[in-house]
Amino acid sequence: MSESFNMDNLPFSLLSAKEQAQLNNNLDIAYFQKGETIIAAGEVPEGVFIVLKGKVGESDGSEPLDQDAITGNVFVHYQDEDYFGGWSVLNGKAIHNFIAVEETICHVLPTRTLMDLIHSNPLFADYFQQNLTAKREIVAQHGQNQDMAEFMLARIEDGTIREPLIVLEGTTLFEATRMMREMKADCVLAKKGNRYGMVTGTDLLDAVIIKGMPLESDVSDIASYRLISTTPQDYLFNALIMMTQQQIERVVVMNGQELVGIVELTDVLSHFSSHSHVIGLRVERAQTIEDLREASKGLTDLIKALISTGVKIRFTMELLAAMNGRIIAKLFELVIPHDLKPHVCLIVMGSEGRGEQIMKTDQDNGLIFREGLEWPEMAETMKKFSETLISFGFPPCPGNIMVSNPEWVNSTGNWANKLTNWSQKFDGESVMKLAIAVDGKPVAGNAALFKVARNAFLRSLRSNEIFFSHFAKAALNFDTPLTFFGNLKDKGMLDIKKRGNLPHCSWH
Amino acid sequence: MIIPRTIRRFKERREFKDSPYAHLFETYKGDEVVSLDCETTSLDVKKGEILSIGAVRIRGRRVITSERLDIKLKPPASLTGDSIKIHKIRASDLADGIDIDEALEQVLEFVGNRPILGYCVNYDIKMLDKYIRPKYGFSLPNKAIELSHVYHDIIKWKTVGGDVDLRFDTISKKLDIPIIQRHTALGDAITVALMYVRLKFGAPLAD
Repeated sequence: MSESFNMDNLPFSLLSAKEQAQLNNNLDIAYFQKGETIIAAGEVPEGVFIVLKGKVGESDGSEPLDQDAITGNVFVHYQDEDYFGGWSVLNGKAIHNFIAVEETICHVLPTRTLMDLIHSNPLFADYFQQNLTAKREIVAQHGQNQDMAEFMLARIEDGTIREPLIVLEGTTLFEATRMMREMKADCVLAKKGNRYGMVTGTDLLDAVIIKGMPLESDVSDIASYRLISTTPQDYLFNALIMMTQQQIERVVVMNGQELVGIVELTDVLSHFSSHSHVIGLRVERAQTIEDLREASKGLTDLIKALISTGVKIRFTMELLAAMNGRIIAKLFELVIPHDLKPHVCLIVMGSEGRGEQIMKTDQDNGLIFREGLEWPEMAETMKKFSETLISFGFPPCPGNIMVSNPEWVNSTGNWANKLTNWSQKFDGESVMKLAIAVDGKPVAGNAALFKVARNAFLRSLRSNEIFFSHFAKAALNFDTPLTFFGNLKDKGMLDIKKRGNLPHCSWH
Repeated sequence: MIIPRTIRRFKERREFKDSPYAHLFETYKGDEVVSLDCETTSLDVKKGEILSIGAVRIRGRRVITSERLDIKLKPPASLTGDSIKIHKIRASDLADGIDIDEALEQVLEFVGNRPILGYCVNYDIKMLDKYIRPKYGFSLPNKAIELSHVYHDIIKWKTVGGDVDLRFDTISKKLDIPIIQRHTALGDAITVALMYVRLKFGAPLAD
């Protein structure tokens, strides 16, 4: 019922008013005592649970129900409006135990209603699936977010399992250490009867140096037999959580009773980092313009995914500026013949130069080339470059400040002269062009060319004090959109970029 | 009050043996309880008129909010100043309210012969009886469960000699139950239902 159920939280806020009413009409409230099992592994759950009050722990089904809480084998705690059981519902069967850690009151959203909502609202379905790190079939339908999904959906068996080094009971510390060195392993499993015990390099060091055990001691005596284990089908993500919570660096992979291998923290981390940077890698690896175009498309999805998972806009802006810079630089590399690269320099200007943009903004760019460079196809190549960028989704600059415009393709000397000219003329257009140009930043090619041109310009400025006062005057030319009493002149409307931002940018 | 009510119930049970309402008088065998609450214009049964009725079923330890009653009535003449301050229901909020006759049908249908749970439940039952008796010729025969009694029975062992604070807010705080929209009929009914489940099935209360 609406009054007790908070619809403001994701993913429920994605539902339409009608769907929220439908949700409301089907919610029940369940009460659980401390220690009570809400969903047991292997059972078909009755629906998704949303915690109204209390705390619920999720643990794997490997140990008897009541043991999990005691051994601390709990992956996640749910409380305060968290929801759980969605994965189990969509999968048809729970693979983990959900146990009330304290007295808990939950809203229960029955499976049937959840399915109805997922069918009627793709956005809701999407969120549900992303946040639950699962849902292969939905991912297949919404292939767009493949990268994110890849990252979330990687399973332990997807190639990160290491072959374990197993020694029998009775192997000496010396022997074990020698074998570890030979096999380049940093841990060994000691088999004692039917059980396996883990011995790490640190364990060996401690045994010999701190405890002063002789090198002939049995390695199975120092092994720890309380292994934290997982299954090959479990998500890598879960393994990472397990390691973090237990403060360990290895998890043993068991398939039923059978030992499969070991997953190490470094492997998991490298797997994740390569996926979160997957777009960056794809940009770097792009061999053709088409490759690059695909990678560039992925960037939009990445940013969307980052923002929807709550990453701060400022950080995504930085990431985006860096990524867009790399895309532009890469395209430049692909377009410009190899032998010409040391002789040209691509610069971006305006907001892109300042790293202030969100998503893709107009392309404001220019080219500086070495004095006396002979390259007949330059204009044509630059035109192609601009057009390709447009096709990538970087809109053309309305002021035509692009390399396809010969005015913005200059030799170092010409560039410095142009800047100087603009700084000596005081009409609006020159000042504007100068303002745009001084924000320039080299992104590809030979950055030294940019510096040469800029230094030449700055030298000429030093003797020109009038310039600064005129440059500042441009800022004052922007009409202040406020009345005498501090209200907006145009009621309810303000062009933030022009009226708020530009005067400010021109000032510094 | 308990004894006359019991006698009356016997009498009416015989009288209505062959009416369509006979099932209301049967002893309830299931494990459900109905938590019920009415918002009215006055705490005086004689003067008060019902504005809204909320009810939910409790099945075992679960509050079945998906099976609920949330009735708004047509605004009565006595809906004025003072009570509006408490329940914050204005005449305009009841613009699409239904007739009391229809509401009573729904209540009888929903409650059946299940026990009725409430906070000051006798007030709500009396209030309903005020309308049911003239129309049907009987009063609600259901067993009544008073939340504050359930609470008192459990808490009294711990507060020897002292009075037990039975205020709604105190109980909910003691039981650590979130109050769901105080002073709406359905919200109160759900809160009471949760407190009941907590008392009935929960761990012993902390001091």
